[in-house]
Amino acid sequence: MIEVNNLVKKFGTFTAVNGISFTAEPGQVTGFLGPNGAGKTTTMRMLTGFAPPTSGSATVAGYDIFDQSKEVRKNVGYLPESVPLYRDMTAIGYLKYLAEIRGVKNRKSRAQDVLARVGLAKRAESEIRTLSKGMRQRVGLAAALIHDPEVLILDEPTIGLDPIQVLELRDLVSELGQNHTVMFSTHILSEAEQVCDRVVIINQGQIMTQGDPIGLRQQMERGARILIRTAEDPTQAIGTVQQVASVMDAEIERDNIIAYPANPEHDPRAEITRALVSGGFNVLEVRPAANNLEEIFLEVTRRGNVEDTPVAVTYDEAEIAVESED
Amino acid sequence: MGALFAVYKREVALYFKSFIAYGITFALMLFMGLIFQSTLSQLFSFVQQGGQVPQGANAANLISGFLDTFVFLLFVISPVLAMRLLAEESREGTLEVLMTLPMSDWVFVTGKFLAAWTFYTFLLALTLIHAWMLSLLGPVNVGILAIAYLGAWLYGGTTIAVSMIWSAVTDDQLVAAFLGVTTVLALYLASNLGTVFEGNLLAANASAFVRELGLTTHFNETMLSGLLRAEDIAYFVAMIVISIFITTLIVGTRRWRAS
Repeated sequence: MIEVNNLVKKFGTFTAVNGISFTAEPGQVTGFLGPNGAGKTTTMRMLTGFAPPTSGSATVAGYDIFDQSKEVRKNVGYLPESVPLYRDMTAIGYLKYLAEIRGVKNRKSRAQDVLARVGLAKRAESEIRTLSKGMRQRVGLAAALIHDPEVLILDEPTIGLDPIQVLELRDLVSELGQNHTVMFSTHILSEAEQVCDRVVIINQGQIMTQGDPIGLRQQMERGARILIRTAEDPTQAIGTVQQVASVMDAEIERDNIIAYPANPEHDPRAEITRALVSGGFNVLEVRPAANNLEEIFLEVTRRGNVEDTPVAVTYDEAEIAVESED
Repeated sequence: MGALFAVYKREVALYFKSFIAYGITFALMLFMGLIFQSTLSQLFSFVQQGGQVPQGANAANLISGFLDTFVFLLFVISPVLAMRLLAEESREGTLEVLMTLPMSDWVFVTGKFLAAWTFYTFLLALTLIHAWMLSLLGPVNVGILAIAYLGAWLYGGTTIAVSMIWSAVTDDQLVAAFLGVTTVLALYLASNLGTVFEGNLLAANASAFVRELGLTTHFNETMLSGLLRAEDIAYFVAMIVISIFITTLIVGTRRWRAS
């Protein structure tokens, strides 16, 4: 269990994390999403006892990160983003070393267990310098698991892995999520959707929104701009789209039509499609304009902070934001 | 304590695996061997020419001269032994791992220091071979020899601890070594500087203080010739403890920095 309450971290005049609050439940994988520089790593460093917060509070596994840092560190397994390892050691040697510092009993069998868990039993005696990036990542994960911690904090564990390794790692994280509190950061939305039970989205040190990934996607889609692609030239089709009652306005963006819904509670996609088909157009695609995290970020920033107005932001505000952005 | 011992063991193993440590050992033994050889050949040429062995060229004095040269060389050896200790962890990012393990910062700092000191002890022990051979030339007071060696051992620990501070300051090992060399040389010369500048640059109190900071004040002038004083032991122990403390503080500042 991780409970974060109004956590702030400042470096001089720069505020890296600006008053975030969220909860990560046991038996769940909580995804921590955000673009680079959003404050993900800084937050995780505070939660792992590496850096103390400037203000605010948080408990990890029931211990206060400020007053009981050592207890926190006992109960957290942490995989830093850069996966720092001692390259001169063997995989098993490194794990036994950490186990000894942590006072784990039956060090050798425990180290073998976690290596098997991450699928590296065969390379136990290999020096870490000889392992591939994916294998090192798994050694790092094994290191985070060595003391069977209640809470796992993984900072972008899939970065730099090939697609197969990514899938394997995601499976492993989902599996670990069943009996640990897992918090893992990523900047890939689809990854969060696949692996996480809950998602916290952070940008510029502030939480923009949080919830279950499917609900979040729906929330994002609500009132969102619609992207329409037809086989015909968009200049021909745009008139038809503009005439749909539930569409407030439409414009052409590259080769696509972007439609603004008139009412955020009412999804105009079905009506747009009907109108276009009956107008004789060949519809190739009708979907929310935001499809990946980068686009959703743009969308969320466009609409202001979703968390403050959980239902949805009205179209007017969105329009203002769009205009001011232009 | 388990954590300290774990860090210590790893670091000691690392010294005995590292190229640089063997390089130091080789260079040191070669150099000390040459000194040893030239000392002996001078002595023998006297005897062969039928001359008297010069006054004071007895076994005890030869050994202390030999140790004197050895500790002087520490201005290079100690910084090189210490430069890696924290700089490498910092550069490789493994410091973040150490600092998120359930141990206080001073624990791994001390473990690392003790490991470096242990390797130094091994180097110092190698010179016992020469000391033993010189002792065959005549009677040697084992008590005096033991005090001289105790002094050389503490001297080494102090210079390593002081050099370690720079390893925490910068993650560039060469810079850390260079700054270490400068600091150890300054401490080596402090005794002379205190005397030279007395009355012109420094007031009497200040020059006495500078002299007391000097390594030679507490070794070459006392322990090397078998004089055992509590203040000398206290000086070395205090220097080591303060250096570990400063290093720990500097490592701790990482917790407040952005990277």
